[in-house]
Formats: sequence, structure tokens, C-alpha cells
Amino acid sequence: MKKAIEPDNIFQFKCMREPLTLQDAIRESNRCLLCFDAPCSNGCPAGTNPGRFIRQIKFYNYKGAARTIRQNNILGSICAFVCPVEKLCEKECSVKALEDPINISGLQRFATEYGKQFNLEPLPKSTKKKGKIAIIGCGPAGMGCASKLAKLDYDVTIFERETKAGGVPLWNIPEFRLPEFALTYDVDNLLSQGVDIRYDTFIGSVEAVKTMLSDGFQAIFISTGLSEAFKLDMYTGYNNALNYISFLRKVKFYRSSFDLKNKNIAVIGGGSVAIDSAVSAKACGANKVYLLSLEQMEELPADVEEIHLARTMNIIFKAGCQITTVIAKEKTITGLTGTEVEWIENGKFSPSNARRIEGTAFSINVDLVVQAIGTKPGLEIAKFSKDLKTKGKGIIEVTEFFETSIAGVFAGGDVTNGGMTVVQAVREGKKAAASIDTFLKNGGHKS
Amino acid sequence: MKKEADLSIDFCGVRFENPFCLSSSPVGNHAEMCARAYDAGWGGIVFKTLGLEKSFKVIMPSPRLSIFNNFDKRFVGLQNAEQITDRPILDNIKDIKWLKKNYPKKVLISSIMGYVDEDWSDLAKMSQDAGADLLELNFSCPQMAHKTAGHRTGQDFHAVASFTEVVKKACTIPVIAKMTPNITDMIPVALAAKEGGADAISAINTIRAITDIDINNFTPLPNIRGHSSPTGFSGPSVKPIAMRFVSELYNSKPLNLPISAIGGIETWIDALHFLLLGATNLQVSTGIMRYGYRIVEDMIEGLQDYMMERNIQSLDEIIGKAARKIVDPSEFNTRFQVVSVVDETKCIGCGQCYISCMDGANQAMEFNKETRKVFVNEERCVGCLLCKHVCPVWDCISYKEVDTNEMKHAAIF
Repeated sequence: MKKAIEPDNIFQFKCMREPLTLQDAIRESNRCLLCFDAPCSNGCPAGTNPGRFIRQIKFYNYKGAARTIRQNNILGSICAFVCPVEKLCEKECSVKALEDPINISGLQRFATEYGKQFNLEPLPKSTKKKGKIAIIGCGPAGMGCASKLAKLDYDVTIFERETKAGGVPLWNIPEFRLPEFALTYDVDNLLSQGVDIRYDTFIGSVEAVKTMLSDGFQAIFISTGLSEAFKLDMYTGYNNALNYISFLRKVKFYRSSFDLKNKNIAVIGGGSVAIDSAVSAKACGANKVYLLSLEQMEELPADVEEIHLARTMNIIFKAGCQITTVIAKEKTITGLTGTEVEWIENGKFSPSNARRIEGTAFSINVDLVVQAIGTKPGLEIAKFSKDLKTKGKGIIEVTEFFETSIAGVFAGGDVTNGGMTVVQAVREGKKAAASIDTFLKNGGHKS
Repeated sequence: MKKEADLSIDFCGVRFENPFCLSSSPVGNHAEMCARAYDAGWGGIVFKTLGLEKSFKVIMPSPRLSIFNNFDKRFVGLQNAEQITDRPILDNIKDIKWLKKNYPKKVLISSIMGYVDEDWSDLAKMSQDAGADLLELNFSCPQMAHKTAGHRTGQDFHAVASFTEVVKKACTIPVIAKMTPNITDMIPVALAAKEGGADAISAINTIRAITDIDINNFTPLPNIRGHSSPTGFSGPSVKPIAMRFVSELYNSKPLNLPISAIGGIETWIDALHFLLLGATNLQVSTGIMRYGYRIVEDMIEGLQDYMMERNIQSLDEIIGKAARKIVDPSEFNTRFQVVSVVDETKCIGCGQCYISCMDGANQAMEFNKETRKVFVNEERCVGCLLCKHVCPVWDCISYKEVDTNEMKHAAIF
């Protein structure tokens, strides 16, 4: 029982789904079979434990449900909005054998909002008796790590180069998918644990990290994420070609000075960020919004849910095609031409494997091109030193315990996995925290 | 044309086209409502209980309903603080006349409640003169705002016997005595009614109950300006208790009176249950309050199909069939024990049976975390079937019988 997507909300940049009411939550939680082994809980990378919080909702223990979520996943509120649940907890739901799976994200949102509404007591403060840890980057992985370390009574400081906490959910996820209050709630919970966040602080080299180690931090966790979008050469040099990171950031924070009314937009890409960009453009009043992808419709990396969202918002899918030429007037793109393509070798989704199909040429008029084809680490620590082993392209190499090649320095999240989900980043942050705890119990890097 | 089974019954010499009747309650408040019920297909109606305003002026409390919920299943029971009719007696008599004139083939039962002998005989005469086919004596309303009426009468054997006798002397139509369940044993009261001349027994009236409490102001519901009272509880929740009382009435040899059953009837299966326990006539209120008069269509069709499929010519063939199988627990045959059997192809691996068996039975279920399937340890299984009852797949768990004399497995059920 999911709430429908409300296009009106999207146009107002409000959450695209209304929350479950108390009645909805009671009915939905009562569809749960309360499985003995709760496969939904096993399906959550961050260990949020939906099996437990759904049971708590069923037995009218709403605050208990909110506690479970918050204790297990400091991004519990954010995850309720952004998790691809149909690939995780809901995929494992036993009810699927009988009917639609439980709307776990809806119940998670209900419980967290209930906790907030009824003044759930703050999380216990870290006693800070265990030693100082530095975390670089206050996104999902950094927050997940910080919360767990604070729970273990460490003294945690997060260094964030922006002026706000949140990382990708803050800058790159549109409000119709993730309302601001959800992020604020999670950050406030983290702050209530006594975690110190230093904003506007850029740690940009391995030397700086090493200095921190000698300056009293007993361990470092790097969670700087991926901050630079991939760009295609063919759009370089034009003044109306953006990458999705700057586009989404502009839409979210500088909307008033960003007029897309009656404009035609082309989004290049077929993943979640491409959909978010396309829907954002539409929400800003764009006329036609094209989603151009090399992948065929059924191969799109975006979720079924996301494609449903795009369809609801009348995004024009042009799947299985490639842009061949940019039509421009001086430095401004006015149109694109392309052809349909097929794969030379099945299952290999790369531009070099695409063969153009003759006689399928098309051209479209566009006023703005948004490239949404992936990200890589930006001006990150790993670029500056050979001490820190990488997998190339700035992706930091870590062991299964999230240790980097430098003793006492750990890393996790997108900067190590190349870009996955928020909930995966939380998982890695939590696991790294456990590794850091073990590392320090065993004497730390000085032994 | 579809062949239809005959649902007609003879109850105290009165022919009903089917056994389904409205019971005395707001569903039969006045002529217009009763007419719509007849049109919908109900075989009879029990008109909302008549009283004499000269003896007692009825004022309805408000709000007067509260529901009993089980998680998201709402309205599994209904509590009411409804009184008998608050309409003037002459209006009600006029309605009864009109109904009998316009629906001569449908049955009209007049429910009456008096406070003194004279009330009872006046109401009986007025009802008979208006054309009522039968009378039902309300000895059982549990929330009358009158200290010597309703279930207080119904708990007093002598009052029941003497008021019945007064009514029988005042009229010639058959008389049904309506029993209260707010008593340990209903048989002595029913026998008292018989002694007074009652021709039939109806049971059960509502059960005194508290359905809900407002946890913010500590007031039970319905909250009637800050107070409440344990008043009449009805609906699906009371059906098991009603079935017990009906079977006891039927199985009482000295009683031997026809029974009109009331208590949680909503479907033809509920109806059938009461017929099998010995009822001839059936009454419904809460089901109608919840779903409307239309539910009778499915009761009629469902019961007819049941009869056609089994070649049952008349309801008489099945009345009381299940009541005969009710014995004292000391008479159970315990030579045969059962053990649970899980159909692995239907099991969805939720493990509810495992949890219930672990914490609520005999630890006979084993749960394989790898395959997410359960396995019955037959050595430990005591055959209580808790597992079967908690399983979300209704036909996944069954059982097989073990003859303890032979200690070998017999046929699978």
C-alpha cells in the first residue's frame, strides 16, 4: 500500500508522496507476517531492522519503532525516502509470496516522523572517554561512522568542506524525493550524540591527514564521496551544457534565479540521477524534457519506481540512442542530432559497443543539456600521495575492514565503492567504525 | 431457470419464507425501515421493542455506541447503550398495522417490554390487534435506564414465569421469551419461561461489556458526558458465546422448545452454524448495522447453494445436526492423537508457526534458516494445531492421526 506520486507536490518541490497516516500505518503494519527470521532485516545493508520496527508499529509502540530506526541507522529518516527498497528489504519480504510486499519505507517514514512529532528523547551523548577520531566528509558514510563511534563513546570530529552536513542527499537529491526536514532530523540526531562538525574545513592532502594523526587523532575515516561529474567532450565549451551535480544543486538552492519555463531540456543518461535531473527540469517549468540513453528501455539502470516517476511527469524517453552532433549558435547549443543504436555485443553497456542503425536519425531542439552519466572523486586526498593506494581514478583501495594502505586511516562510502546507495554508505561507515574500535582496542597505529 | 432450495420454516406454527429476521434493534425502528428490509428479502422482522410511555419515558443516551477492534480489524464487536423504542406507542402500532397490510406474507414479530403486569398484557393485546404474528418478550436488554426492567427481569426466574403467563393470558399468538446471556446457566430461566407458557426461546441478547477506554481521560466508551456503563455487546465477537447458549438450549431435554438464534450472524455460514446447533429461526442486527439489509441476499443464495449441493430438501433435515455431537470433555476419545503436517510447497517461510510452537506450545517445530522451511518434530508434536491456526497460508498445515494403541500413522485428513 504505497501512496501515489503527486505531480502537484513535485511542481511545488514538496515530497512527491504524502506520508502514511496513523490509520495507514496501522493497516500496513498489520499486513506484516512478523517473520521469525525477518528477511527484510537481513535485506537492509545498514541493519536498520525493519522486522523489529514494523512489529513495534503493529503493537502501537510507535516511539519504540522510531528508536529502533535511529539507533541502527543514523540516516534512518533519509533512507525512508531514498532507499531503493524494492531491491533491498521489500525484495526479501515474505508477504510477496501472497500479495504486495509491506511498504517498509512508508512505515519507516511514519515512525521517524512520529518520533519527531512526539519529541523522542535525544540519543545519548558520547562520554568521549575513548579517544579522538577524525572523519573527513559529512555525508552518509561519514555520518554512519560518526554515530556508531559516538555510541561507542569516542570523541568524534567531522571535517566538512561545505557549510552544511549531508553530502549527496543534501546537494544532489531533489526535495520532491527527499524533503529537507528528513535530512535535518538525521543531522540533529547525530549532533545530539555530541559529534562535532567543523564546517568549511577542507582536508585536501595526505599530508594533512598524517598531520591530524600526529596531532592527537587516533584514527581517521575518509568519506569524501564522489564530487566530480563525468563530462563528454562533445559538450565542452558550450555555455548551456551542465553536469547533473551543478544542475541539481542549482535547482535545489538557486531555483529563483534559474528559469526553465518553456525551455526544452535534454538529459543524457539513464540512471537515477538522470531521472532526478529530468524531473527537476520539468518541475522548474520546462516544456519538453528528453531522457536520452544508450541503454534500451528495459536496460535502464534507473529503478522501476524512478521510471514510473519520470513517466508520471511526462518525461520523453529516447532510449537506445546516441547523440551524434551538437547544433550550436556560437557558444550556445540549440539542438542535438542523433541516431538509434544497437549493441554490437549483448550486455556490454558502453559507447564503444554501440552500433548506429541507419535511417533512424533524429534531431531535437534544446535549450539546455544536462549530462548525468556518473561521477568520480574530485579534488580528493588520494590524488596527492602515492602512500594512499587507489584503484585508479581516485577510488581509495580498502580491505574488508575498510583499512587504507596507511595505518590508522580508514575509508568507506562512495570514495571506496565507486558510488552506490546511501544505505550502503551507512553500512560501510558503521562497519568501518567497528574496525576502528577494534584497531584502537588493539593498541592503535602507534603500537 | 435456476432451481432454488426451499428455505421456508415453520416456527411456532408460523410460516417464514426464510429463517432470516431482523432482531429487535435500531434496524427495525419504524415501518419505512422494516419495509425496506422486507423488500431486501428478509423473511421476518422483530419490530424494535415497544414500551408504554405512561409507565416509563425513554430518553436515549448519546453517544451510545462503541466498537471493539482487533488491530486493524475494526468492529469485531459492537457495544450499545440503546434503549427500547422512544416513539409513542400509537405510532408504533400504526406502523405494525401498515406493515401487515402491505406485507401480509412476511412475518412480523412484536417485541415488548413492560414494567408491571398491566403493561405486558396491554402491549400484547395491542400488538395482536395490530396484526403481529408473534410476540417476543424482552427479558434481556442489559442497559435499560429503569431499575426493574430488561436483563434484571431476565435473571429473575419468577418474574420471567409470571410475566410470560400474563402475556399468554392476554393474547392467542405464539410467544417467544428472549433470554439474557448475563447469567451462568440459561436453562433454568428458559424453563421458567416455558412454565409461564412460552412457545419458543430466543437467545442471546447482548452481553454486558466494556469495549474501550479513552486513555487520555480515563473514561470508558461510549463516553456519555464523562460516564459510561457495561452495556450490550454484540457482533462477530459474541458469536462463539451465542453458539454455546443455543446448543445448550437445544440439548436441554426438559426444555424442548423451538429456538430463534441471535449473536454475530453476518453470513450464510454463520446462519448455518446456528441451524446446525438447533436454531430454527435466526435474527440479525449488528451485521445489518454494519453492512445494511442487502447482506440477506448472500445468506439466502449461499444457504440455498449449500442445500442444493448436498441435496437437502428442507432446513428441518439439518437443524441440530451439530448439537448432537456436543459432549462433556470426559467423554472424548483420546486414543487417537494427531501430529501436524506441513505442505512444503505452500510454506512461505515466515516462521510464525515456529514462534508460536516455541513460545506457546511444545517446541515441536524446527526452522531451517537456510531454506526458510519448517519441519515438524513428530516426537515432540502434541497435535494442538496452534501452528495451523497461526499460519498465514490457510491450507498449508494439516494433520495426520496417530492411533496410540498401534502407534502407527493412519489416514491423513
